[in-house]
Amino acid sequence: MMAAEYGSDDGVIATNDDATSCKACAVSLGYWKDPYLPHVYPAAPDRRPPEINRGFYARTHSIFLLIQKFIQVTKGDCQIVNLGAGFDTLFWRLKSAGHTPVRFIELDFSEVTAKKTHYIQRSKALLQAISDDDYDIKLNRNNLHGFRYKLMSTDLRVLSEVEAKLEESEIDYSLPTAFIAECVLVYMCPTKSSQLLNWIAKKFKSAFFINYEMVNLGDRFGEVMLSNLRSRHCDLQGAAACATLQSQEDRFVQEGWAGAEATDMMGLWERLPRADVSRVMRLEMLDENELLTQLFSHYCITTAWTDTRWTEITL
Amino acid sequence: MAKCSEDKKEEAEVHKLKANEFFQKQNYDKAIEFYSKAIECNSEEPIYYGNRSFAYLRMECFGYALEDATKAIEMDKSYVKGYYRRASAYMSLGKYKMALKDYETVVKVRPSDKDAKLKFTECQKIVQQMLFQKAIAVDDDKKSVADSINLDAMTIEDNYDGPALEDGKVTEKFMLDLMEYYKAQKKLHKKYAYKILLDIKAYFTKQPTLVDVHIPDDSKFTVCGDIHGQFYDLMNIFKLNGLPSPSNPYLFNGDFVDRGSFSIECIFTLFGYKLLYPNHFWMSRGNHESVTMNQMYGFEGEVKSKYSSQMGDLFTEVYNWLPLCHCLNKRVLVMHGGLFSSDTVTLDDIRKTERNRQPPEEGIMCELLWSDPMPGPGRAPSKRGVGTQFGPDVTKRFLDNNNLDYIIRSHEVKDDGYEVSHGGLCITVFSAPNYCDTMGNKGAFINLQGDTMEPKYVTYSAVEHPPVKPMAYANSLLRLFS
Repeated sequence: MMAAEYGSDDGVIATNDDATSCKACAVSLGYWKDPYLPHVYPAAPDRRPPEINRGFYARTHSIFLLIQKFIQVTKGDCQIVNLGAGFDTLFWRLKSAGHTPVRFIELDFSEVTAKKTHYIQRSKALLQAISDDDYDIKLNRNNLHGFRYKLMSTDLRVLSEVEAKLEESEIDYSLPTAFIAECVLVYMCPTKSSQLLNWIAKKFKSAFFINYEMVNLGDRFGEVMLSNLRSRHCDLQGAAACATLQSQEDRFVQEGWAGAEATDMMGLWERLPRADVSRVMRLEMLDENELLTQLFSHYCITTAWTDTRWTEITL
Repeated sequence: MAKCSEDKKEEAEVHKLKANEFFQKQNYDKAIEFYSKAIECNSEEPIYYGNRSFAYLRMECFGYALEDATKAIEMDKSYVKGYYRRASAYMSLGKYKMALKDYETVVKVRPSDKDAKLKFTECQKIVQQMLFQKAIAVDDDKKSVADSINLDAMTIEDNYDGPALEDGKVTEKFMLDLMEYYKAQKKLHKKYAYKILLDIKAYFTKQPTLVDVHIPDDSKFTVCGDIHGQFYDLMNIFKLNGLPSPSNPYLFNGDFVDRGSFSIECIFTLFGYKLLYPNHFWMSRGNHESVTMNQMYGFEGEVKSKYSSQMGDLFTEVYNWLPLCHCLNKRVLVMHGGLFSSDTVTLDDIRKTERNRQPPEEGIMCELLWSDPMPGPGRAPSKRGVGTQFGPDVTKRFLDNNNLDYIIRSHEVKDDGYEVSHGGLCITVFSAPNYCDTMGNKGAFINLQGDTMEPKYVTYSAVEHPPVKPMAYANSLLRLFS
């Protein structure tokens, strides 16, 4: 496998730093509570424009609510697998809200998991949540086995690695499992991402997928963005699936998933709990709406399922 | 009100205990449900309202939290927790003065409560800060940053190879050198930067709020809209339309900075030309020439990173003195935002407006910077939450009352860079193409001839710009994708 075939991994890895920094800015302005983020992003965050803060709020909160629902509906008898998790703090936020799945597995490149392992070790708050009296935390440089929480280094493009690492984390293929991918599949070439989705549908008895990604890339906005990303060495190899909401759904159904539903962020914004949305809108005044509308029309969340029970997991 | 029976009181207590349990488990939804059940059984117990208020606070339903806390206090003026809860609700609603009163009450009744004292002190700090900000926003007697700049103490290093003011003045050579230096992404020496700002401030303080511009019959005149820190597109405007000069006058209609990554380069270029050709180069204030906008949309960050926050404060003072409006040949009125919530506003009213301040939340100054035209007749509340929307009939009445032909304004991004509305009475011109590297729009400027004052539109696409790190807005955009 030639590295050149996939563009530079460094560019993709750097997207985690960017996302974490943006989340840190939004959190510092009060968009949502995340006392764990400073442990994985110790620096003072750079200020971002209000549209970006709102975008991250919509993304983070939507995913939180969907996963929360999944855990509630399965009464905790489930697994969460976060693909390309980066420095996400979802496990800890869920735990402090009283939601614990049987297993929460995060997968990412070793460069990312190494740093995260390091941050977790240094933070009492992060360590506490993954500890248990009857469980000894096992870790090496790039991997961490905590109580219910596993952080594994892997290349998502190498299916055998993914399988091996999941099994090392004691994955139970028969348990309802929710997969999360936030701008991950798009950096993989379509063959590899389809392969992964196909394998999940076959291997897992009852799977649910939350995919946050770009959409409607066929317009001027898409062109500009694609060229911007290329100049940062982030080839959007999986851009084809981001053409329309339909293509985002099709990519699942074509790989053996029973169904999928894609909604752009404009639609999701309308579905988020009103009281909280009102609160967020008061945090920073937007001087105009056009940019927000443009941004929100070019992102979407697609939920997909192999088990029709999960059609009820919506906002 | 029927007195509550003992049975009902007991039932209420059972509900309350259940609610408390849910609260402990952080299941606030359920806690509220059961506190409400308790209240249904016994509506006279302040503790139920106090507790439910707490649950609402945790759920961030601050309006409800406030209601419940107030009810609890009404029932029992000595219920300390009630004041605590209400203060929290007020804090979250941004009503710091009200919160302070309640914290004060708590501290008086519980002088040894450390947490209460802490919250009181914090709240007091916020209130004091707010009062201070308010004072300096309106008060023009306060000591100005301009007075504290000591240019003599700034020395030009030997290795500075950039443009230099000649005898402290802007010259044509300086401007040409400056623009080349900026294209090469270099920084003007702070001594010259400060000098320009001090001179520009001195100039603008002598200008009226509404500036009358005379354009000779045979002279061309160009009006540009929002630039928003897009320096390379500004250079393209000068390439397409010629550099500013006495025979090529320009009016830039506000929003020179923010969002784009080259706001510093834009503003110093514009201020430089203003100083060089004071009677042939005009600048009008936009809503982004203000502190709040600069904090949120990038200019403050850019000034701090390229120079210092002291310079940021000086910019604030300068922006406060920018004129709000230009009247061309007594026929065409140009402002950044738009028209007014009242039909009675005259040009004299605008002239009399006190502008040396941050834009207020309503009134003539606010509307000049924030309003938007709308297609339908009459007025409507602004989509932006500030200013007003005004229809073609409003525009016509204003023009008739003030003997004008039409208005030119900016403030809204347009696909083609400009838009003619209200039957030609209201023209929007927006000069930042591919706004924020996102919108894909064209930019435009308007050419006028002094005698006819008929608008001719020139549109153009965005030009390339260096991928500056951070490419502020565009970078953030990419982050949403990461």
